[in-house]
Amino acid sequence: MWKNAADYSINKYYIKMDNFITQLKQEIIDVLNLEDVKPEDIDNNAPLFGEGLGLDSIDALEIIVLMEKNYGIKVKDPAQGKELFQSIKRLAEYIAENRTK
Amino acid sequence: MVYINAIRQISAQKPLTDEWFDSPIYYNEPYIRAIDPDFKQYLAPNESRRTGKILKRALITSREACKDTVPEAIITGTGLGCIENTEIFLDSMSRYGEELLPPTQFMQSTHNTVSSLVAIDIKCNSYNITFAHKGISFECALQNAFIISNKKHNVTVLVGAHDEMTPVYFNLLKRTGYLGNTNQVFAGEAAVSMLLSTKKENSSMCRIDNIEKYYSTGRNFHLDSSDYKIDAVMTGINGTEDNDRVYYENCNRWFPGVPMLRYKHLFGESYTAPAFGVYTSAICLAKQLIPEFIKLHSKVNNTKPINSILCYNHFENKNHTFILLSTCYE
Amino acid sequence: MDKIVISGMGIISAIGNNCMETLDALKASKSGIDTIHYLNTSHTEFPVGEVKLTNEEMISMLGLTASSVSTRTSLMGMIAVREAIETAGIYNINQRCSIISGTTVGGMDKSEQYYLEFLENDLHKEYIKTHDCGACTEMIADYFGFFSQVDTISTACSSAANAILLGAKFLQSGKTDVAVAGGAECITRFHLNGFNTLRILDCQHCRPFDNTRAGLNLGEGAAYIVMETEKHFLERTALTPPESQRKIYAYLSGAANTCDAFHQTASSPDGKGAYMAMKNALHNAGLHPSNVDYINAHGTGTANNDLSEGYAIEKLFGNNIPPVSSTKAFTGHTTSAAGGIEAVISILSMNNSLIPVNLNFKEKMPELSFKPVTEYSSNDIHLEHVLSNSFGFGGNDTTLIFSHHKRS
Repeated sequence: MWKNAADYSINKYYIKMDNFITQLKQEIIDVLNLEDVKPEDIDNNAPLFGEGLGLDSIDALEIIVLMEKNYGIKVKDPAQGKELFQSIKRLAEYIAENRTK
Repeated sequence: MVYINAIRQISAQKPLTDEWFDSPIYYNEPYIRAIDPDFKQYLAPNESRRTGKILKRALITSREACKDTVPEAIITGTGLGCIENTEIFLDSMSRYGEELLPPTQFMQSTHNTVSSLVAIDIKCNSYNITFAHKGISFECALQNAFIISNKKHNVTVLVGAHDEMTPVYFNLLKRTGYLGNTNQVFAGEAAVSMLLSTKKENSSMCRIDNIEKYYSTGRNFHLDSSDYKIDAVMTGINGTEDNDRVYYENCNRWFPGVPMLRYKHLFGESYTAPAFGVYTSAICLAKQLIPEFIKLHSKVNNTKPINSILCYNHFENKNHTFILLSTCYE
Repeated sequence: MDKIVISGMGIISAIGNNCMETLDALKASKSGIDTIHYLNTSHTEFPVGEVKLTNEEMISMLGLTASSVSTRTSLMGMIAVREAIETAGIYNINQRCSIISGTTVGGMDKSEQYYLEFLENDLHKEYIKTHDCGACTEMIADYFGFFSQVDTISTACSSAANAILLGAKFLQSGKTDVAVAGGAECITRFHLNGFNTLRILDCQHCRPFDNTRAGLNLGEGAAYIVMETEKHFLERTALTPPESQRKIYAYLSGAANTCDAFHQTASSPDGKGAYMAMKNALHNAGLHPSNVDYINAHGTGTANNDLSEGYAIEKLFGNNIPPVSSTKAFTGHTTSAAGGIEAVISILSMNNSLIPVNLNFKEKMPELSFKPVTEYSSNDIHLEHVLSNSFGFGGNDTTLIFSHHKRS
């Protein structure tokens, strides 16, 4: 019984997280004007910069503005962003944990 | 000697072709945005996603004018630069304060964004400069190109004239009396890229013999019109009395009897519109034809060869510019 | 080809309202950077190098009427041009005289003040017309009323350097007899915020070439030099009385403009554009790297610029790097005016046998072999050739080389 309940809540967490990742992908696509890119084209575990989407430092700044605007998260040091941008999954988890709105 | 070897434009006429010369489009509205080509045909998604209209047009016209040539210099004239991005940033700052402003719009707001983006695109590490001086921005750029290439061997220069016009900025400039007056030609946008070379090619449209600029506030300038043996004057007549009177008076004084031509009724008014005067004149010289729709008086005869056309532009009767173009066919 | 002489100069910045005050600050190693005092902004956390005058004070210094339409950039421009043409003695000269001015923000100070009103009413519509860069140059030109040709260059932070380069081209091609060239730029909320979105402003005083550098401080000001061919200068001054003390301040012996063509705002990691600008300018001057006695670096204090420029200097000068300093810790980064301000600072240094120190430097960058100049000295210094760098967004890189007027 106990085991099943935990399974259920973990499962719920993953469904919620999946939905949030998709939402975040769409927000990034919109703010960066990534024409012709759909949320499902972005690999959850692939780095956002360099290879993959081919984003650059200006895109990073745009995502930092997005994080503050939509989720109330202030990234003071752009170097901190580097760690967060290792994948969309990492970014989504960080936002979920630290969002203030 | 400097030759114009290619010109590509995006404007209120059919883009990236000279076909409009056979059947131009006429407009009655006060403000017309350029007819854009299908950007997707020319730019990859990654190339266009951060670039506003002025930049997309500059990239496309520059590529089409240069083809495989990497020029020795890229020189751009723009009156207002990337005004759309400037406006977005300014509007956002004015309404919502000094937080959460968009970095891309700032980065793409400076005037030299156009020239430098073209340089990145065609991988040109040499001379790169941008002139932003109201209604003579293009002539400043062309004069610089002429100075650095005249009397040299094998120099090619890309000269651009780029201005976009947003609805908001049109309304602002209308209130200053620059655009949108009764009887005035429409407010337009300009994207013209010209490849100049000291080497004459089969594609050469005409030759640039000279370019002079005069600033007349506080000191009257004197034009020695006997220097100019010309068949026609291409003017910036735009339908407003204050502007047009200057052309009539000065042309009568300096070039009595020489036919006057116009182009702004086809391309509209903008800070870099004079580039269309050079463009239209270059086609006339290349085709040896002055079509009726650019003549101010229909009685101009078409019999003699057209050897040279002087492009005369003034801005608010303060700046006066003269570009002498000649046929390059002997 | 005829040599280009500099026969007059004028400057206004955070460290002084004229050449004399600027020289005093350089000698005293006194920075003009301070907390924000004149600009109306919520970002008071950023130190800036402001000109220590209100617009009203400048209007009165210039004898303009209080109601006259002006922008902060144009007012600073008028003050600096006035000093330049007075020192050169070309006021109302009866010859072709060209003004070439660099600016990027132009009349943005008024536009950002009145933007929402522009949209709704006509109360300040005269300032719609002063928004663009060309308007700024014309306001300056019209104040003096004798310029017969005007040009405005906008290549971001290398604008004024390119204006000077163009002035030389005009003179060499015979397009003008005298060229007044430089640049003007006031600090605006627009570009303070713009630089902030790019995260390149330091909340502390900027530290060019320091390992702990964390960005730039914005500055403002204007500086112009009067240029003419040596032949023209000698003929013109032969007619003036000796007590007028017209003199050659320096020669502009070389200049080059290149494009990094790497990124819209960042410099290439190896400083390709910077390297080529310096190399081509030396070639243009007919000089070798070993002839350079001092480099007035662009040195903004951003992580990217100083490393990229440092690499370019190392590549060109090898093991014989001359003294290097950035004067941006004195004036702040005066953006479009920087090339003019640093040209005047370079010439003042040359004529007064001094090398301005690179203020706030403590820790050497491990990536670079050299340290900038940190000790002020005016003993045994003779600067024959000074190289001044100005690099702008979009990779618009320009180098100017000034040479001592007593050079044979």
